[in-house]
Amino acid sequence: MKARIRSLIFCLVLSICYLMPVSAHAHKVNIYAYAEDGMIHSESYFVDGTKCKNSLIEVFDERAGTRLLEGKTDENGKFSFKIPKVTSLKLVLHASMGHQNEYTLSEDEVREAMGEGQRPQGARQSKETKTGKETSKSSSQPERVSTKSRGKMDREVTDIGRGMSESEMEALMERVIDRKLKPVIGMLVKLRENNEKPGFTEIVGGIGYIVGLMGVAMYLKRRFKERN
Amino acid sequence: MHISEGVLSAPVLMAGALLTVGGTALGLKKMNYERIPEVAVLSSAFFVASLIHVPVGPSSAHLILNGLVGLLLGWMAFPSILVALALQALLFQFGGFTTLGVNTFNMAAPAIIAYYLFNLPVRKGNHLLSIISGFAAGAIGVGMGALLVALTLVSTGESFFNVAKLVVVVHLPVMVIEGIITAFCVVFLKRVKPEILEVRG
Repeated sequence: MKARIRSLIFCLVLSICYLMPVSAHAHKVNIYAYAEDGMIHSESYFVDGTKCKNSLIEVFDERAGTRLLEGKTDENGKFSFKIPKVTSLKLVLHASMGHQNEYTLSEDEVREAMGEGQRPQGARQSKETKTGKETSKSSSQPERVSTKSRGKMDREVTDIGRGMSESEMEALMERVIDRKLKPVIGMLVKLRENNEKPGFTEIVGGIGYIVGLMGVAMYLKRRFKERN
Repeated sequence: MHISEGVLSAPVLMAGALLTVGGTALGLKKMNYERIPEVAVLSSAFFVASLIHVPVGPSSAHLILNGLVGLLLGWMAFPSILVALALQALLFQFGGFTTLGVNTFNMAAPAIIAYYLFNLPVRKGNHLLSIISGFAAGAIGVGMGALLVALTLVSTGESFFNVAKLVVVVHLPVMVIEGIITAFCVVFLKRVKPEILEVRG
């Protein structure tokens, strides 16, 4: 009986040793980053919400593995920089004394932010369009003069007020809201992905539950035996 | 092999629950004091084996080990697998609590079948017969499990027929791999600790 218990304990200890991770980080530290308007903004904080001040952040090209740039976080744990290269970027945070974590931005996110960064050209195109509109406006000026000559001031005021139609306003607002919500949606998706994978902690917890149930069952069986 | 909640119809769920209650009661009756650690260790093995997923094409596959559990435990496979599946539903939302009965029966019934088919050859046979029986037990555990899952889905509705066929086809390679692993386990146990495989009433 004792030999069996010894062998069981030995097996458990051995399996736990084999399951032990090779490397372990100290306290957990978090980094999150998002891309916007040709820039990448990152925020770093410890588990209890404390900001990582004056911590080193390195930016790598995830595919090639080369380091593109590095910087320090400010008093609010933030570090922002211009996009150095349109590729998937890996941000590695080195907080003090071995705290470390990393975050990866996919190439699609980076390219999309760069696309937004090319707005000046887009603005020029829209200006050209406006120029065309001005031409059409100048062609319609005689009509307005005739309207003025009629003496109807209300129409002119109404036309001035309707600079933008309702559908245009809706489209503009939707565009702005989509852009602002994209980092939040990305974060939610990643949280869901992380939750779906069984973590090492839960697996060991499950085994612990089974061992606990074993103890309860042995206790009940022994008591049942004694009553008989 | 985890059928999620909301998929099966009520009669199928109730039938699975009743069968699992019966099997678990019989298993608990046969469970004596000395063998409780064995049940716990095999429950842990089943628990962990189902969580290590290997990506295979569009989906992923994992070991089941119900053939091995059946060979070593017999009817005690029912409480063993029930505990493992309950913890998976609780911690990882694999399967669900309403489908716990069906999932347990689909996994434990093949274990009992493997036990009755290959118990004597594994324990009393020679080396080669032990290997063949171990392989067959593992393969039958997975194969019968897949068939029972397919039967459960088809019983719920005709629309699950294609899914049922897919379940069976996907688990054919898993049968081979699990058979090999179960055979290795049986041979290892016969060498290292043959009293585990002694014939017991």
